[in-house]
Amino acid sequence: MRAALVKLYRNTLFRLSLLGAVFFVVALIIALGNVYFLTISSEIRQVDKSLAAEVEEFQMLLDKGGLIPVNREIFLRSGSGDRHYLLTSRNQDGADMVIGSLGEQVVTLINQEKAIIGEEGDANFTKVDFILVIPETDTEPASERRMRGLSGYLQIDGKNVAAVVASRDVEVTMRTAERVKNAIFSSSAIALILGLISSWYVSRKFTQRVEAFNRLATDVRAGHLDRRAPRNYSEDEMDLLAEHLNDMLDHIDRLMKAMRYAGDSIAHDLRSPLTRLRTRLETAATEVKDPKAEGTLFAAADDADQLLKTFDSVLRIARLEAGERREMLSKLDPKMILDDIAELYEPACEDVGLTFTSEIKEGHLVSADRGLISQAVSNLVENAIKYTPKGGAIHLSLLKNTEGLSEISIVDNGPGIPKDSRERVKERFVRLDVSRSEPGSGLGLALVDAIADLHRASFTFEDGPPSEDGTRPGLAARITFPRLRKQKQPHLASPLTSG
Amino acid sequence: MRILVVEDDDIAAEYVRKGLMEAGHVVDLAPDGELGLEMARAADYDAIVLDRMLPKRDGLSVLEEMRKDGDATPVLILSALGEVDQKVEGLRAGGDDYLAKPYAFTELLARVEAIGRRSDPTAAVTKLKCADLEMDLLARTVRREGKNILLQPREFRLLECLMRNAGRVVTRTMLLEKVWDYHFDPQTNVIDVHISRLRGKIDKEFDEQLLHTVRGAGYRLQV
Repeated sequence: MRAALVKLYRNTLFRLSLLGAVFFVVALIIALGNVYFLTISSEIRQVDKSLAAEVEEFQMLLDKGGLIPVNREIFLRSGSGDRHYLLTSRNQDGADMVIGSLGEQVVTLINQEKAIIGEEGDANFTKVDFILVIPETDTEPASERRMRGLSGYLQIDGKNVAAVVASRDVEVTMRTAERVKNAIFSSSAIALILGLISSWYVSRKFTQRVEAFNRLATDVRAGHLDRRAPRNYSEDEMDLLAEHLNDMLDHIDRLMKAMRYAGDSIAHDLRSPLTRLRTRLETAATEVKDPKAEGTLFAAADDADQLLKTFDSVLRIARLEAGERREMLSKLDPKMILDDIAELYEPACEDVGLTFTSEIKEGHLVSADRGLISQAVSNLVENAIKYTPKGGAIHLSLLKNTEGLSEISIVDNGPGIPKDSRERVKERFVRLDVSRSEPGSGLGLALVDAIADLHRASFTFEDGPPSEDGTRPGLAARITFPRLRKQKQPHLASPLTSG
Repeated sequence: MRILVVEDDDIAAEYVRKGLMEAGHVVDLAPDGELGLEMARAADYDAIVLDRMLPKRDGLSVLEEMRKDGDATPVLILSALGEVDQKVEGLRAGGDDYLAKPYAFTELLARVEAIGRRSDPTAAVTKLKCADLEMDLLARTVRREGKNILLQPREFRLLECLMRNAGRVVTRTMLLEKVWDYHFDPQTNVIDVHISRLRGKIDKEFDEQLLHTVRGAGYRLQV
C-alpha cells in the first residue's frame, strides 16, 4: 500500500495533475469565500452600521433633551421585531433605572470587540455578540437567539450618564452563514477528492502509454528491432511521439538490414573465391608427388582457413554486439555446459602435461545460450592451455560468489596478464607482445567479451594462484552472471545430469 | 551414389563434381535454383548439395518446394552464411546437414556420404558391426573378439558415430557437432586426444587396427 502510494507520487503526471487539482480547490475556496463575504458578511456589516446609527441617534437625543427622550425611545423600540435594548441610568434619587427588553432576560456574552462609532472614532463602544434566551410563551417554546449588539456609555460633557446596549437578533443570518460555510467546506472537499481521483486516473492512463514506450525501448535494446510502439491514431502528442519513434525504428531497422546484407554479401563474395582457393590448394596438394611441396600446399590451405575463421569471428562478434541472439537465451543450469567442457578438455590438458581440476556445483539458474557459453568457456580454457607452461595447473569452477551470483572461473598458474592490460586484451585484434609468437587472431577474448555482454554477465580478470616457484602470477578469468529476474516459474532447459 | 550439385559458382561446382566423381559417385550439376528444382524433380538422387544463395531461386525456397512435393532426398545445404541461427533456419527448412564455406573438400565428401547413407533402412538398427567390433545400441555394450570393452558414455557416442559411418571419413568438425553438439571449432587438438583414448581401448590390444587417421580430413573406421 505504502509502496504503491510512493510509486504513484513518483509519477510525474500524477504530481502535475494533483497540483492542478489543488490549485482548483484553492480557487474554489476563494470564489465561495467571496460569495460569503458579499452576502452574510455584508448583512452583518449592515446590522453593525444601523446599530451605530441608532447609538448616535440616542446620543443626539440625550444632547438635545436629556435622558427622558432617550428612555422613551428605548422603551418604545425595545422588543419590537428583532430589536432588543438595555439602558441603565441613575435618576435624580440616585437609584439605578433599567429600561429595555434585555434587562428582563438571560444573556450570555460570547464575544466582544472595540467598536468604532461615527467619524471621529468614538472608542467608548464595544461590539458584542451574545446569546439571548427567550422564555417560553403561549405560542413559542423557549429559544436561544444569537444577538449582535453595541454597548457603551452615553455622555454629557464627557461624563458617562447612561450605559446602553442596542442589539439585533441575527439568528437567521447566522444560521444561513453556517449553512453557507458548510456548503463551502463540503464542496471544496468534494472537489479535492474528485481532483485526486482524476489525477490518479489521468496519470494511470498516461503511465500506460509511457509504459508501452518503456517496454518498446527495453525490447529494442534486447535486439527485437521489429517491435513498434502502439498507436491510437488520435494524432495527439503521444500518438505523434509513437509515430516518430516508429519511423525512427523503421529507419534503424532498414540500416541494420542493409548493413547485415552488406556483411552477408561480403562474407559470401569472400568465401566463394576462398573456398575455390582452398579447394585448388588441396587438390594440388594431393596431386603433387613432392612431399615438401605437398606440405607447403596443405599449409597454404590452412592459412586460407585461418583467414576465413578470422573473418567469421569478426562477423560473429558484430552480430553478438547487435544483441541479435539475446532472444535465444533460455533459463538453464550452466553445470551441464561446464561438465561437457571439462570432459572435453581434461584429456587435452593431460596430453600436454597440465593438471586439470574442476569444481562444478549444481543449483545454478541463469539465462544463457548453451552454444555461446560453451564457446566462451572453451576459448578461455584454450587460452589457459596455450599459455600455461608444462607442469602447470588449470582449474575450472562454477560457484556462487560472495554476492551469491553464479560465477564461472577459469584459473591457471601461467604468466597472467598485467593489470593495466586486462581491459585492453578484450578489444578486437589486441595481442600482447608476449603472445605474438603464438598462433591466434586476437579475437578470442573479444568474442568472450561480446558473449558475456549479450548475457549481461561481467567478464573480468584477476590474479590467479602463483606458480610454485613464484615466477608466474597466474590468471583467473571470471564470467559472472547477473541475478536472474524472477518472473515466471523457473524451468530447466535440460536435465542436470550430463552424458 | 547419384548426387545433384546445385551451385552457381562454376569453378567451385566443377571442383566438387570432380572430387565426388573421384570418390566414385555420379554427379549432375545445376547452375541456378530453377534448374536445380527441375532436375531434383526429374530424377531420383541419393543426395543433393544445395547452395543457399543462388540466382533465380534461392536455396531455401528450392528445399521448401521439394519438401512440399514430398521429396525426402537428403540435402546438404552449402552456404557462406555460417552463423548458427542460420544453420538452424536451414535445417528447419528441411535440410539434413549444413556446411559453411569455405570447407575442405573432404568435409563436404564426408557429410554428403553421411546424409546419403542416412536414408538407408539400416538407420534404425540396434546393433552396429565393423569387422570383429560389435556395438549393441540397446544394451550399450561394445565387444571385440568376444571381449567386453568398457567405454565412457562420451566414448560410446564417439564410437557410435564412427561405426555408423564405417568405411567413410568422419571429420573433426562432424564429430564435434554430432558427439558434443558444438558448432564452433576449438583451436586445440581436443578431438585427437579423445580419439587416441578411444583407440587405446578398441585397438591397442588387438592385432588389426580399425580406427585410422585420414590426413587433412579426419578419421575412418575400417578393416
